[in-house]
This record gives sequence, C-alpha cells and structure tokens, in this order.
Amino acid sequence: MSLPTQFRCGIDTGGTFTDLVALDETTGDLVVAKWPSSPHHPEEALIGVIRESQLPPEAFSSLILGTTVATNALLQREGARVLFVTTKGFRDVPFIQRINRRYHYSLEWTKPKPLAERIDCLEVDERINHKGEVLVALTDQELVRLSERIEERLNGTDRPNTAVAVCLLFSHLNPKHEQRIQEYLTGRFQDLPVSLSYRVAPIWREYERGSTVLADAFVKPTLQRYVGSVRKSFESMGISCPWSVMKSNGGRATAEVAENEPVGVVLSGLSGGIIGGRFFGELADHENLVTLDMGGTSCDVGVVRKGQIAYNTDYQIEWGLPVAAPFVDLTTIGAGGGSIAWIDKGGFLRVGPQSAGADPGPVCYDQGGKDVTVTDANLVLGRLNPNYFLAGKMRLNTDKAHQKLAELGATLGMTVEETAQAVIEMANENMANAIRVASIDRGLDARDFTLVAFGGAGPLHASGIVGRVGMKRIVVPLYPGLCSAFGSLIADFQVDKVWSKHFRSDRVDVDVVRKHFDELVSEAVREIHDEGFFGDPEMERTISMRYAGQNYEHDVRVEDGEITAGSLDEAFEEFHRLHERFYGYSIGYEVIELIRFNVKVVGRTDNPQLKAVATSGEPRPRETRQVYFKEQGFVACPVYRREDLRAGFTWEGPALVEEADSMILAHPGDRLSVDAHGVITMDV
Amino acid sequence: MENIDSVTLSVINNALINACREMGTAMMRTSYSPIFNEGLDFSCVIFNTRAEMIGQAEFCPTMLGSAQYAVKWTIEELGLDSFEPGDVVIHNDPYRGQCHMPEHMVLKPVFHGGELQCFVGNIAHIGEIGGMAPGSFASDATEVYQEGLRLPPVKIMQRGEYVKDVWRIILTNHRTPKTSWGDLHAMIGSLNIAETRMHELLERYGAELFAAAGDQLLDYSERWMRSEIQEIPNGVYRFQDCMEDDGVTDQPVWMRLKLIVKDDEIIADWTDSDAQASGPVNATFVVTAAATYSAVLHVTNKDIPVNSGCYRPIRLITNPGTVVNVRHPGPSVGGNTETHPHLQNVVMAALSQAVPERAAAAEAGTACNFLFGGAHPETGEYYTNYHFDGGGWGATALHDGNSVMCPVNGNCRNTPAEVLETKYPFLTLEYSLRTDSGGDGKFRGGLGSKRVLRVVGPEITVSALLDRTRTYPWGLFGAGHGAAGGLLVKKKGDSRFRTFSEVYGTVSATKFTRIVLKEDDEVAILSPGGGGYGSPSERTAEQIEDDVRQGLISAAAARTSYGYER
Repeated sequence: MSLPTQFRCGIDTGGTFTDLVALDETTGDLVVAKWPSSPHHPEEALIGVIRESQLPPEAFSSLILGTTVATNALLQREGARVLFVTTKGFRDVPFIQRINRRYHYSLEWTKPKPLAERIDCLEVDERINHKGEVLVALTDQELVRLSERIEERLNGTDRPNTAVAVCLLFSHLNPKHEQRIQEYLTGRFQDLPVSLSYRVAPIWREYERGSTVLADAFVKPTLQRYVGSVRKSFESMGISCPWSVMKSNGGRATAEVAENEPVGVVLSGLSGGIIGGRFFGELADHENLVTLDMGGTSCDVGVVRKGQIAYNTDYQIEWGLPVAAPFVDLTTIGAGGGSIAWIDKGGFLRVGPQSAGADPGPVCYDQGGKDVTVTDANLVLGRLNPNYFLAGKMRLNTDKAHQKLAELGATLGMTVEETAQAVIEMANENMANAIRVASIDRGLDARDFTLVAFGGAGPLHASGIVGRVGMKRIVVPLYPGLCSAFGSLIADFQVDKVWSKHFRSDRVDVDVVRKHFDELVSEAVREIHDEGFFGDPEMERTISMRYAGQNYEHDVRVEDGEITAGSLDEAFEEFHRLHERFYGYSIGYEVIELIRFNVKVVGRTDNPQLKAVATSGEPRPRETRQVYFKEQGFVACPVYRREDLRAGFTWEGPALVEEADSMILAHPGDRLSVDAHGVITMDV
Repeated sequence: MENIDSVTLSVINNALINACREMGTAMMRTSYSPIFNEGLDFSCVIFNTRAEMIGQAEFCPTMLGSAQYAVKWTIEELGLDSFEPGDVVIHNDPYRGQCHMPEHMVLKPVFHGGELQCFVGNIAHIGEIGGMAPGSFASDATEVYQEGLRLPPVKIMQRGEYVKDVWRIILTNHRTPKTSWGDLHAMIGSLNIAETRMHELLERYGAELFAAAGDQLLDYSERWMRSEIQEIPNGVYRFQDCMEDDGVTDQPVWMRLKLIVKDDEIIADWTDSDAQASGPVNATFVVTAAATYSAVLHVTNKDIPVNSGCYRPIRLITNPGTVVNVRHPGPSVGGNTETHPHLQNVVMAALSQAVPERAAAAEAGTACNFLFGGAHPETGEYYTNYHFDGGGWGATALHDGNSVMCPVNGNCRNTPAEVLETKYPFLTLEYSLRTDSGGDGKFRGGLGSKRVLRVVGPEITVSALLDRTRTYPWGLFGAGHGAAGGLLVKKKGDSRFRTFSEVYGTVSATKFTRIVLKEDDEVAILSPGGGGYGSPSERTAEQIEDDVRQGLISAAAARTSYGYER
C-alpha cells in the first residue's frame, strides 16, 4: 500500500523522551509516538521515534523539529571556542559584566564565566560614538593586525569547533565596522564562522549585546553539526519532504537559517508547548490563556492575550549571562513531579527547586530514591494509579512512598495524608505564584484567563492551582504529554526585525521612520520567504517608547497602513494609556522618546481540522478509587479512561481521567465536559 | 491568633516579596536617573503598623537594615492616627533614621475596612538634591547644611492629591528638578502597585490573619537567625579599620569593634571608635546598624527570609558623636557609601576569627564615587550624574574573590558605556580589569577595574569621594592584600596621569568637590582589588599558570608573590 504524502509532523526532543505527533491532513487523524531521547546523538532518537510511528518516509509532507541541542550546549558549556573581537579598551566587558550579584548575603556565589576566555578576547582600534559617527576609522592595517592575532590564537587548534563573535561599541547605530570585519575575516579564514552583534541583537548596552553574540557564536558549530546529522539521517531513511527547526520566538526556520543564526533557535525546545496550548485553548473558544506545562523537573508558564503569545528578550543562560533575542515569554520554575520536599532550618516545608529527576526518581519508582517528591505525595493520596503509570510500563511502589512521607510527617507533626497534602499544596502554590508573576509582569489580571494544563503532571495539579489565583476554567488538550510536539506541528513562520534609532516625539522625522519601516518589512518578508513561507504574511509594527529621560521602553503598536504624522500621534496616545495601566500614572504633556522600531512578520500555517470523537454511549468508569481531598478526606472517586469518553459528556467531580501519558484530577464540585474533538474543559 | 499553617504563611511571605519586586520593577522602568534604572540603587519594603519590616525585595541591601529606623521615626513623629488613605510621606533626614541625605524614603499607609493595616515604602537614591556640590556628594562638607535639602518626614501626597507646596520647595532646591520630578513619580507610582497587592491580600485573608501572619513571619526569621548564631562559637572578637582621611583634614578616622557572640545573640560594641570627623565620612547610627546586620547575614544561611525578625538577636552599642553615630550637624554623605562597607568589612573580619570557613577577606570597600555635572554641549540642558564603580571582592575559604563587584553594602549595576555616553559628554577610552590587583593567597582576591574617561564638551565640573587609595583591603590567614585604588587626571597636552592634589592642590587626592575639567582632559578611576585567603604557598601551580595565561596576574607577580617559575 502506498500512502499519499499527507502527514504534517512535529517532533519534540526533550530530556527524557522524544515525542512525535503527526496529523493526517485529509482525515484529521493524529498519530503519536514516544521514544527515549539520546542526548549525545539526537538524530538517533529522531530515527527511532519516526520508526515507532510506523509511518513510511514518503508519508510526510513536512517535519518540524523542536530541539534543545542549542539550549543544552549553552547550559552544559559544550560549544565552540569563541574568539571575541571588540573595540579597543573594552575586552574585559564580558568579565566585568554588570557588577551586581545574585544573592545579597551569600559569599558562596561566583560570577558566571563568559563564553570566551580572556586570552581569546581581542581588541581593534576603531570607535563610533553615540550618534553613530566614526571617531576612529577602522583601517586596513588594523584588519591585517587582527587577522594575524587570530592566526596566532588559532595556531594548531581544532579549527572546526571555533567561531568569532564581534561586538563593537555603538554598532547598533552604525554597523559598518562590524560588517567590514566580517567581510575581511570570511575572506581570510574560509571555515571560520563570524557572528555580528548588530545582527543578533541590535540593542544598546554593550554587555548585553556582547553576551548575546557570544552565545550565537558559541552554539554555531553545534547547530551546524546537528543540522548536518539530521539531514543525513533523513536522507538515509528516504525522507525528502521539507523540514525546519522551531525558533525561540515560536516561528520556524529552515535548516540553513538555523545554522547561520543559531541565536534564534536557542530556546527551540520551549516554544512548542505554548503554541500547542494556545491551539487547544482557542479550540475551546478562549483567547485569553495561561499555559501550564508541568513535567518531571520543571514547569513552564506562558501567557496568551487575545490570541497573542507574549515575547521577551531577557533570557539568561545562568544568572548574569543574558541572551537578548526574542523568545516566547515563559516563566520557568523548578516544580515538577520529581520536585523534592524538604524542611528548611526555620522549620518550613519546602518543595523544589531540586528534583529527583528520572534517576533515581521519586521514592515510588523504587530505583533507590530517598527523597519524598510530588509524585510520591500524589500516589499516597490515591491520585495516581500505581498499575497504570506510563500506561502500565512502570509499576509504582506505594508502600515505600507511604513510609517516607510518614517520616517527613513525623518531623512536622502531621499525618501521612496531611503531609502529602501539604507537599502538593506547596508545589501548587509555587506554580500559582509563577502564574501571578507571569500575568502581573504584563499588567494582566489572571482571573480573566483560562488555564490550559498539559505536560505529564499539569492536568493532575491544575484544579488545585486555579483557585489560588482566582481562575475559573481549565482546558486539557488531547495527548497532554505531547503538547510540545503538537505545537511544533502547527507552528507559524515568524521573523522579527529591529532598527535602533533615537527620535523625540516633538521632532520625529516621519519620512525617515516610514522609509526604515518599509525597509524592515521588505527585509523581513524576504527572510520569511527564505524560511519557506510563500503566502502573504501578516505584519505588526511597533515602536519602543519611553518618556524623555527614562531608560526602559514599552512597545507600542502602530496601526497598519502608511506611516503618517497622524498614525504616530495615535501611537503616542497609546503609550500614555499603557504607562497609566502598568505604572499607575502618565504624563500627558511629556516628550516621548522613540528608541527602537520593530517589525514582526508572521506567515500563518493552516490550523489543522481535528477529527470528531464519537458521541454515542455513556462511558463507564474503569474502577472506583479512594482519593484524598483536603476538605473531605478520602472519597470514593470514579476513574475513567480518556479513550472511553464521548463528545458532549458532562459530569461532576470528584473524578480521575487517566491516559497513557497523563492524569486529570477533578476535585469534588468541579464540572467536566468533553467537546466534539475530545478536548476536556473543567469548570471549578 | 494561633499558629497559621506553614503553607499559608509561605504564601503570604511570597506575596509580600512579590509586591516588593513589582515595586522595584516599576521604579526601574519608569525612573529618570541612571542610578535608579541602571544602578538599581533602591530598596522596596513593607512594614506593619509597629514599624517592623515584614517584607522586602532584593535590590540594594544598604537601605534594608536602616529602613526600620526611618519608618519607626516617621510613625513616632507624625503619629499613627495622622495617616489617611492616599497619603505619601517623604523623608531623608540622616538624624531621623536615614542613611544619608540622597537616600529618600517614600511611605504610604495601606487601609482596609477603614483601618490602617500596613505601610508600603521604598527608599531610593535621588541623584541631585542641591547643596554645595553638583550631584550632592559634597566631599569637603563640614556640616549637613552643605549636603543638600534636608526633609523631615512630611506629606508629599495627601489623600491622593499633590501637596504642591512641598513639591515646589523640593524642586526649587534640586539642581535638576526635572529628573527629581521623574524619579519621585517613579517612586510614588510604584507604591500604588504595592498598595493594590496589599488590598488583594487583605481581601483574601482578612486583616486579622494578615497581621498575625506578619508577626509569625518575624518570629520565624528570628528563630532561624538565633539557631544560626548558636552555631557561631561564643567569644569576644575584635577588629579595627580606618577611613584614610575625611576630605577636610588629612587625618585617618578609626572604627573599632568588639564583637561579642553569646549563645544565640550578638552584641556589636563600637564604643572605642574615634570622635566624629570634620568631613563627611561619618556614619549615621542606622548605617552602622545596617552594616552590622548585613555582615552577620553574610555568614548565615542565605535562605532566611529577611525581615526585622532577623535583626532581633543582634544588638549595637555606639556613642553619639563618634564616626559610627554622627551627631547633628556633622556631615555624613560619604558615611553611607564609604564608611558603610568599611564597617561591614570590620564585622566580617571579627567574625572570621570565629567562623573562618564562612568568612571572606576584605573587599574594595569604596564605591569610587565620581560626581559630575554641567550644561550639556548638545542640548544646553543642565545635568548631573552620580557615577560609581565596583572593585575586587575578598577571597573565601572556597574560591577566589569575584572581580569588579559593587561594594558589599549595595548591589547596584554599573552604567554601560553606551548609556553613559548617550546621556553625558564623556567618552570612555578604557574599562578594564587591573592585572595584579587581587591579593595573593591560596585563593586570590578579585581584581579591581580601571576606567578612563575623556571630556568631550567644553567643560565638566567633577567631585569625588574614594577611600582605600592609601590603605588596602586586607587578606586573611597569611594571604596578601588587594591593590589600593586611585583617582588620577591627565590634562590635555600632559604626558602622564597625576593626582588631583598634584594638579589642583586639593587637600585630599580623592575626596574633593567642584574641579572644572576642560575638553580632552582625561580621568582614570582605579578601584581596589580584594584581599586573598590562605597562604599563597598553598595555591596550585595550575591556578597560577591559568592566572598568568589569562593575564590576571603578571609573570613577575607569579615569581615574587608565589615563587612560581615556569
């Protein structure tokens, strides 16, 4: 039998598992598969999971990969040797950093090491000032001198794993010197990739821009190797459809773009979840969403407002090492099933951020874990099925979890159940707190939002979290454990462009602004075509503004159409309103400074049509289990299988719904309903 | 009220911290001067109605230890019943519980159900408050009246309305009123955000539980702090250090400490310190208290929620009229930036005798305060700026000292060269690590920095206040000291840098005001390195080789300090 090419496929490489979700575009059927990740050879797990899906190579129409290969290279410091090139007098900026410290009262903390050694930081005699004017020209002799020093530094070293990062002062205002260095070095050293700070982060502040370009250069050879091995693997399997890599901003990049500007895919593995969450939230008819992806070790919280995902450029590799590139804005905290419960010196119960991980894992995994975890607490309270964990692939040891919780409870003077309940409440409170921070930081009120809960543990905790932040409704996607892979499959194309230029609202040159916006747009459209999108993209133009004298900006949207004095005035009015909303005051007559001009171009991917689930018949619980709730104590609780549920079915908690990779918990009084596609909504 | 369960208590603790963080973020994003938005030189706090701090967020720790005195003074002076919803009190008086004059506190009462429940507040460094020197860092002041506009606790907002007379007085006396106006709005605006959060919290838990939770959080921190102090061996530990001069006379001023650890309490007896100085290196009592608290917090568990409860087991003895407790009208502006870290280093050195494995050698101990102002050549507008630099930190029993860090009494960020040059007519020629400035030892002290600035416009008026340019950040347990700092000037056409005393005849080479630099003159600011820890003979060849390879120490220093030849 030969299948037509009709499967759109998303694959997400996580720390433990590589997940695949493929969508049959004609029938709306979903095919899912899971395969253990192979951290050192991610392509092997790709091959494994594709084989596991049993889809033939010619069945795929497109493949999109979410990968943590760049993130891991940064976090584990396994990347290129980077030569850092900067303006004379400034080679120590990556070491000096911003001179503040992570903790007020700790002598244990040490400053993060930058991604280049000091001996590899080289200076060139050139200087541009704050107006973009050249004070000291970059001469040919200086370029020769630089290349000689690079030659000297490279002498006899592993050339293929080396890259250059260039960050010159004020290059965001005038990039000519950086461009010249790149041209010269690329001509002189053919196999040496050169990253420029004005391209990867056209922002002011030399430390933050330099740190970003260092990260780009650091992961570049790693990305090149990854792309090369994936390409080879797909060829060997006979897969010939186009494929791309998820970008940190939620868009997707062709392999070529990903390897040339890897700073854009640093958080590739994180962006799928919120996109998948948004899809299911919107399917259930909600446009204001908080997404909660809770797995084994951590929990990511994202915000979707009126269908728009929030973005940020403040990622840090570790505290103090920023990467200022656009990424979907997630608040990540150390709260997952494996988070460890402990008692601090003041006698408070704490949960996380330390995790028992997959090995040894929670006490109930029976692999030698000694620390009580959130999973142990869930098991003891009857919220997990010891015989159907990972669809029965792992049996959980309830007795051992019980014993360890009893020991913890003895120190707190609480019963086993009270202790387990407190552990879960602490974890829930930590996540609720992340939701508060994520919404408050954007001036939003979480109570107006719907929670989309996924990841292995999200649907189990969701009902316990929403009440703490005043939310009322929860949506649980199909295959909650595979939501990131699903998100990759439906990702749009997206290109972000920035132009840094300073204007005052009372002296802004409308023609110059119009001209540059037009240039940014055409550049972005060209790039989005390079990334494989051929339709008419949507675009959004914003200007980063602040009151004259302030130091931080707000992005204000400019209405579509030609830029005119009127459309700018409109944007200034909007800035006053935003300032009022965020900070409680505005200054109507104050001059506004325009700092950056931003263009976002989005190529929409058609949303998939999911298959309707059956409507007939009343599902029967597979069993009834005693589950502990704080107010009621142990209560008889029906346990359903998700595959048994029918569209239109509604009922009231307490109830559990189990499936292969997740468990949904409805507290007493929660109302559940199943929609036409099988998505579950829970009102609490 | 009986004990609140630990989950609820944690939730309320988190909520208090978050509200303070939100206040800080709002201030950073809306303020006008770099000391706020790049430096983050402010603290955000929540107090109960008994003037005890129940919540704070980690921005600049300098003000945390002192805030409780400033709030207490405000409440006692104005009376609890004088507060109404929508009021904001402002206060910067160093004799009424503040650190020094630039530090302004704004405090807003929070009402719920018609009753006063708590206060939200923040303390921040206003860059220019008038006085004899632009930037209000009068290094040769002899009395407080030269240091700027002093405000007792007065209402700047009343029932939500501007108290216009007070605003007019303030803005008339500051040299850059527009910046002050923006910064004050940032401070007051952030209070509104915290007030809203407190209303939500009170709505959710009710006033009774909220108040009880505050009390129990204080008790919790006190309990934890006592158990930490219990682990420090009982004894009497002494140490002393000096300010090398006071800006007015060329005399050192000594701070002498007798630190008594007894069971679960600590008594810091500073009574043997010198009489207060003529110049502005005097610490107010609250600075000495804050320095003592902070040093103790550095050797105890970093996870203790910091609130007034932490401070209960720590007592101070000081004599009014001494350098550690200045009396009116003695000047004190440098007491907070310079004497403050010295005091903290002294407490740390005393503690190192008790808990060597938890202590650190001395850090730079100076913020290298460099103030400047004038008419901007591009706009003609008058500007001033308070510039500071980090220095090397002391090594510890576990690792080398961090290079170029904000002094221990603060936690501020530096101003990027691109921000500095965009706002002010200075060109940065160099910002680098000072090779060989870290004290040698088994663990090396952190390196100091060198910053060279060139005047771009016709002229800039500068003032300075640096210390440890003739004394050194000491090492511990056989280690060497860090390099001294310095401040040098090179006039246009000169071939080398010289001290300000040599060029301009100032009494102190590093503490002076109102020197006028001309176009193309250059200034070099050198921050001290940190002290080392343990004998240099115990440093491994590998570490020494790496330091030489990276240029952190010279080959010559490897030979002379470590006896290392390759």
